[in-house]
Amino acid sequence: MTNLFWRTFPVTTLTVRQFLGGKAVRVVVAMSAIPCLFALIYLINTTVATPRDYLVEVVFRGLMAPTLLPIMVLILATGALGNEVEDRTLPYLTMKPMGRLRIAFEKLLGVLVVAVPAVLAGLLATYGIVRVAASDYQPVFRRAAENLDLTSVLGPMLVAATAGVVATASVFLFVSLVIPRALLVGIVYVFVWESLLGRFLTGIRIVSIRHYVESIFVDRLDDPAYTLDNATGLRAALIVVVVVSVVSVVLAAWRLRRMNLE
Amino acid sequence: MSRQRRVFIPDNGHVAPLERANLPGVIAGREPTIVVDHVSKWYGDVVAVSDVSFGVGPGVTGLLGPNGAGKSTILKMMAGLLAASSGEITILGGPARGRPGVYKQLGLVPEQESVYPYLSGREFVRMNAILQKLPDPAGATERAIGLVEMGDAANRKMGGYSKGMRQRIKVAACLVHDPQVVLMDEPLNGTDPVQRAGLIALIRALGRSGKTVLVSSHVLVEVERFAENIVVIVNGKLAAAGDFRAIRDKIDAHDHAVRIRTDQPRRLAAALIADPATRALRFDHEGRIVAETDDVRAFYRAVPAAAKRYGIRLFEVQPDDESLTSVFAYLVER
Repeated sequence: MTNLFWRTFPVTTLTVRQFLGGKAVRVVVAMSAIPCLFALIYLINTTVATPRDYLVEVVFRGLMAPTLLPIMVLILATGALGNEVEDRTLPYLTMKPMGRLRIAFEKLLGVLVVAVPAVLAGLLATYGIVRVAASDYQPVFRRAAENLDLTSVLGPMLVAATAGVVATASVFLFVSLVIPRALLVGIVYVFVWESLLGRFLTGIRIVSIRHYVESIFVDRLDDPAYTLDNATGLRAALIVVVVVSVVSVVLAAWRLRRMNLE
Repeated sequence: MSRQRRVFIPDNGHVAPLERANLPGVIAGREPTIVVDHVSKWYGDVVAVSDVSFGVGPGVTGLLGPNGAGKSTILKMMAGLLAASSGEITILGGPARGRPGVYKQLGLVPEQESVYPYLSGREFVRMNAILQKLPDPAGATERAIGLVEMGDAANRKMGGYSKGMRQRIKVAACLVHDPQVVLMDEPLNGTDPVQRAGLIALIRALGRSGKTVLVSSHVLVEVERFAENIVVIVNGKLAAAGDFRAIRDKIDAHDHAVRIRTDQPRRLAAALIADPATRALRFDHEGRIVAETDDVRAFYRAVPAAAKRYGIRLFEVQPDDESLTSVFAYLVER
């Protein structure tokens, strides 16, 4: 089986091995457990919000989409090619009769193989804990129309998170080939651009991955209680994610062709 | 049929325009596999390689020069990893840079030790075989590992390898696809005497089989053991190119300094001072012997002989870097 992976996707298999043997994946797994900790706190005190509200507003829109997901993904994405440049091992890949586009694509695949399960596992585990909390939940304000359905939240969360992982991974795979400290730049992007400026400046939202992740989420959730200002339609948001990902991989391949490897 | 051997020593380090067949370093009548044509490389104001032209044909050629002379830069430009600032390098008729197909016929042993520490040696070589799209990667892997005699350690993670083992597994990865052109950047660095002898025998065998092998080194007596032709680079400029023996005679005409680390420096010094090959001796601040000689070959024979005679352990016998630079600079001045 291992041989089959090596022969079919050698660069992807190398990348996954690189992650499994390093610290980055441990940090990412630890970060994926953070929403679970929030859910455990909620389990103790369910008076702060309804389970559905907690899952949508606190876990996904408050924690995962704006902060945890981008940071988890950029740790892996900037390491996939960035570490090879830093460790000077990239020539072992580039000095082969293999197109640069394939190297970039397989590297992205390697990031996704680790990042998608890590992000989705964190969300699934959190969903499970909130579900347990929901079984004991007593409506605080006794609102008759309180929506306690959690199942309909899970699918949109997983779909939107997967789209966010793909777009973020592609962009930062390319960025790591252009900027030496791509992880630092990525963290600044997450906290300054996505979280701070994106909140106050409407124009910035349309050039923010978070905006499209949330657009996909609210569209799939289809609940008037949860809206997003200037939300992009599902089809348009998915097209943006695909275009951004494809362009980023092509740019990464172009950069691999042009860069000097000292 | 006798081959005409030539030695090229540029006037003032400047290489005049030359025809492909008459490039320095190329044995007359042989088509060069690698052509370096007026190549320069600079980083801002720093010139790493300055207007260098030479050719390399089949057989083993040594790329000799002191540390920092520009050897690695030239090899990386040949391998397509670095773009030349000016000039052109062709390998097997075309540039390596931007032409991934050429890597089916080209292999590089990079100078840096970096390998994937989480892979075993066997996995690393096999990965290279797969990336080369070989029909039988497993068979090619075992053949390459056998060439460097790493069978016993091949299943260990490379993170635990010694420097010499890393060098050998890098050589195996470079040779796994049996390339026609082999570039090796200081492949003997960090190897022990037994490993060194094995690698030298392998390099010579590759040259005899008709491959073009270019091996960089800053150690003259090391190059002598495998290279028939040499290209000497000093301060980024071509100092000499051509038949090894002719250039060696010119280098030998200059004084050399050799640094020796041993468990009994005073006893060895006493033995060496009596040898006619030794001109002067002193100790450096680390307690190593620094010997000056005007017959470097005789001196390199005298050191192990004296050590054996008096039961002295030798830890390091290295040409002094400053001395090397002055020897090579002497070539440029000529």
